[in-house]
Amino acid sequence: MWVYEKKLEYPINITKTNAKLAKMIITQYGGPDGELGASLRYLSQRYTMPYPELKAILTDIGTEELAHLEMVGAIVYQLTKNLTLKEIKDAGFETYYVDHTTGIYPAAASGHPFSASVLQSKGDPITDLHENLAAEQKARTTYDNILRFCDDPDVKDPIEFLRAREVVHYQRFGEGLRILTDKLNSKNFYAFNPSFDKKCNNRP
Amino acid sequence: MSERERLLRQISIIDFAIIELHMFLDTHPNDTNAATKLDEYQIKSQALTKEYESKFGPLSASDRNSNRWAWISNPWPWDNTDEGVKKINVGL
Repeated sequence: MWVYEKKLEYPINITKTNAKLAKMIITQYGGPDGELGASLRYLSQRYTMPYPELKAILTDIGTEELAHLEMVGAIVYQLTKNLTLKEIKDAGFETYYVDHTTGIYPAAASGHPFSASVLQSKGDPITDLHENLAAEQKARTTYDNILRFCDDPDVKDPIEFLRAREVVHYQRFGEGLRILTDKLNSKNFYAFNPSFDKKCNNRP
Repeated sequence: MSERERLLRQISIIDFAIIELHMFLDTHPNDTNAATKLDEYQIKSQALTKEYESKFGPLSASDRNSNRWAWISNPWPWDNTDEGVKKINVGL
């Protein structure tokens, strides 16, 4: 279960609205490499993880991703507060506005709604951990792309925090993969599913 | 920045260290240095959180603060605050 804490993981207080930027940043809420997909991916994969370290790391990173989802939502919310119709039009925000006004909706920058097809839970820890390593890098690249359009320090600062967390999560997943392979037969790392093919679980 | 924001900022800094150390220990369970540091930060966080909650209301639903009005009161985490500029009513 979870307990809500009435605070953000990292403070956000954006005073200048910017609908153009919000249109891009919403992709980290519900886009292909966003925080919603990340949390669902890790929190779903953890059930079939064979070792306690892996169950722990997926639970803890999956939980932190929910905190990041809240942060991205707060950024988009504050960037779109009190917009005028002219600002909405000038920013090309009307395609979002017509469906959601300024409500926070999980969608990609393209407007494509969130889909579970952006993530996988394969029931094979080697496969899943490799997906997670790739996912962290894809999210990091997305934040880098967003940062190229950010000149407001109030926005840049929390985005840089989120970007840095992708790098740390990548490191932790890498360690998780090493913990897993250390426990497996080195001849069979990539030929079996350690969660299903029980006989390959032990070292010779 | 108001006193509330300053205190919350301090808690966020300590709590971030807790998140980071806790996660590090998932893959390094034998690291006693990290475990000691985590204990230190947890004690600091508890003291600061207690101070915050006595002044400004609960930070989580499990905290033993019976004031339901303080829980529902603004600001919520995504709200803009201009407390440094304008005094708002917080000590409910």
